[in-house]
Amino acid sequence: MSLTLTVDGPRWRAHLEDVARTHPGLVPVAKGNGYGFTLGRLARKTQWLADREHDVTTLAVGTYDELPEVASRWRGDVLVLTPWRPFVEPVDPALARRVVHTVSRYDDLRALLAAEPEARLVLEHATSMRRHGMTGRELWDAGALLRKHPGARVEGVALHLPLQQGSHLGEVNRILTSTVAADAGLTTAWVSHLTDAELKSLSASWPDFTFRPRIGTSLWLGDRGALKVTATVLDVHPVERGDVFGYRGRTAPKSGHVLVVSGGTAHGIGLEAPTGDQSVKARAATLARGGLDAIGFVRSPYSIEGKQRLFAEPPHMQASMLFVPQGARVPEVGDQVDVRVRYTATTFDRIVVEG
Amino acid sequence: MPSVRPITPTEHRDHLASLPSASFLQTPGWAQVKSEWRSESLGWFDDSGKQRGAALVLYRKLPKLNRFLAYLPEGPVIDWDSDCLRDWLDPMVAHLKRQGAFAVRIGPPVVTRRWTAAQVKEGVADPDVKLLGQVPPEERSAAGARVVAQLHDLGWRHQAAEGGFAAGQPQYVFQVPLRHPDGTARTEDEVLKGMNQLWRRNIKKAAKEGVEVSAGTRDDLKAFHDLYVHTAERDHFTPRPLPYFEVMWDALNADAPDRLKLWLGRHQGDLVAATLAVRVGEHYWYSYGASSTEKREVRGSNAVQWAMIQDALASGCAVYDLRGITDTLDSDDSHVGLIQFKVGTGGEAVEYAGEWDLPINRALYKAFQIYLARR
Repeated sequence: MSLTLTVDGPRWRAHLEDVARTHPGLVPVAKGNGYGFTLGRLARKTQWLADREHDVTTLAVGTYDELPEVASRWRGDVLVLTPWRPFVEPVDPALARRVVHTVSRYDDLRALLAAEPEARLVLEHATSMRRHGMTGRELWDAGALLRKHPGARVEGVALHLPLQQGSHLGEVNRILTSTVAADAGLTTAWVSHLTDAELKSLSASWPDFTFRPRIGTSLWLGDRGALKVTATVLDVHPVERGDVFGYRGRTAPKSGHVLVVSGGTAHGIGLEAPTGDQSVKARAATLARGGLDAIGFVRSPYSIEGKQRLFAEPPHMQASMLFVPQGARVPEVGDQVDVRVRYTATTFDRIVVEG
Repeated sequence: MPSVRPITPTEHRDHLASLPSASFLQTPGWAQVKSEWRSESLGWFDDSGKQRGAALVLYRKLPKLNRFLAYLPEGPVIDWDSDCLRDWLDPMVAHLKRQGAFAVRIGPPVVTRRWTAAQVKEGVADPDVKLLGQVPPEERSAAGARVVAQLHDLGWRHQAAEGGFAAGQPQYVFQVPLRHPDGTARTEDEVLKGMNQLWRRNIKKAAKEGVEVSAGTRDDLKAFHDLYVHTAERDHFTPRPLPYFEVMWDALNADAPDRLKLWLGRHQGDLVAATLAVRVGEHYWYSYGASSTEKREVRGSNAVQWAMIQDALASGCAVYDLRGITDTLDSDDSHVGLIQFKVGTGGEAVEYAGEWDLPINRALYKAFQIYLARR
């Protein structure tokens, strides 16, 4: 009766171990909807990696609100990726020693050290993303401040790189030079979105530095073949051309079947999220889908026997109606159909890890 | 913000004399050694008119054009600790532009990394290590990193010296510190103890064989030069003519007495090794060396090196500088023997910030780079 994520357990775990083995110092990222798996499950999986003696000491979450979800399922340190601000509520004292704050402004560093002199933190350096982070000069000032707070527990510099094509090496080299210039004894760099070749090259040219790669998508979702998403067929109705159906009283354009399947807006099904693909073709496809929506049926993420089917009407809260034209094989109630989803925007009813 | 104007050689000399040290390539005398280029002494002055910096600029003319590369080898001599290098460099660049420079090349005399002799030795022994940079340094200098970060921000471009020696001044050198970290002088005994066994044995052997090392005069340059030409033939490099060294002697020693010294090592009257040493303030450089092919067993080269180190110590120097090494630690590379010889002194490998270019006329600069690449 549900939208289900089925995981090929042995294959998925082998992939996780492979990533951990090839990325020493790995910082798994568990944020948002937990990449579809839920935060709790990712926290447990991170603990499993650590128990298997992989070099995993820290789990990264997106926000302070996500801390309780992971803290009881993972015994190590937790890095909060959203930069600390003075209005952030103090962390549960029981957790404080395990939490590593991200500090992205000089004023915040001063405020945090005043509020929690023992706080553990990383200093975020701005990148070409221009999102959060200090400039090189601000980092020097931060270094001067830290030299006056020898008790502060600074765990390194953090940088958040864009997903761009092309090399990040020049940018990272400049940021690391700024880090040395800050003269605060920072020799750990927390990085994201570097290729394996880039990480290797940086480790060679900065042999006295430790690199901590923060990895989310390519860790949890890196082996798509281990993951399968299915919906249950809940009802099947034959329709003739002109028959009226659904909330909106639409009419069937030709004869076929209307299927009711599990999965709706509550799961994130049918919600259009920007794909990130900015090619002309992708944008044209978006326009075409909009046009289709205006005059008739929209392509759904459900596919039956490898063929993507149209929504008969916009998805409901927990179920969707599909149209299957005459001539195609019609599944029966209780059958499973495949669904293609964006994992970071989908909530599953069930997650089944097989094996 | 300091202002920049040309200064006389006397002003230049007096300013350098007020500092602990500066590169000899930034002394007014060096302009005479490099007489094929137009040169100029520059001074930085604060609002009260006090001199704050100095530079020797060599203007290298572009073929067929009245435009120049303004080259400041191992300079300028300014306050590189400044967090606002723009204030120092901007007025200099404006001046050089008015002089017809299409680009400026500088070599900040700023250390960025250091490795101990033991670390270099381990790097050579490790088959996975091909470059000095792959060995974790003993020290990364924050001050050096600030200079590098600022030059990047100000639009200067690092001139990477890939594989062996590039055309400019070496970015990596080998130095023997002559002072303890607390600033007190090391004794001869301490320096000797820092050397590897081979060096110590060779120095002892030279003394036992009766090698006598003495400082020479200008008249002895001829004897040095003969041996140097002999060395050049043996080691396959192109020797400079005798007048080059005579000009160097006259020009450098006119700046300061004993700035350039000649050291001669003799065994039973035969000249077995000879070197030239340069000293500016507390910095002592081993500059040119020559050795005979005969009588290598009396270890004349080690004897003259030791005499120079002793002289540096006696002059109160802070650093004995063996000049350039390449950054290769690949035991298959021909340059590695040179590093191993220098490492035997027990000093440290030092990385400087390297040479940096600022294009003023981008089109000409680009053409110049293409010209260099094809040369």
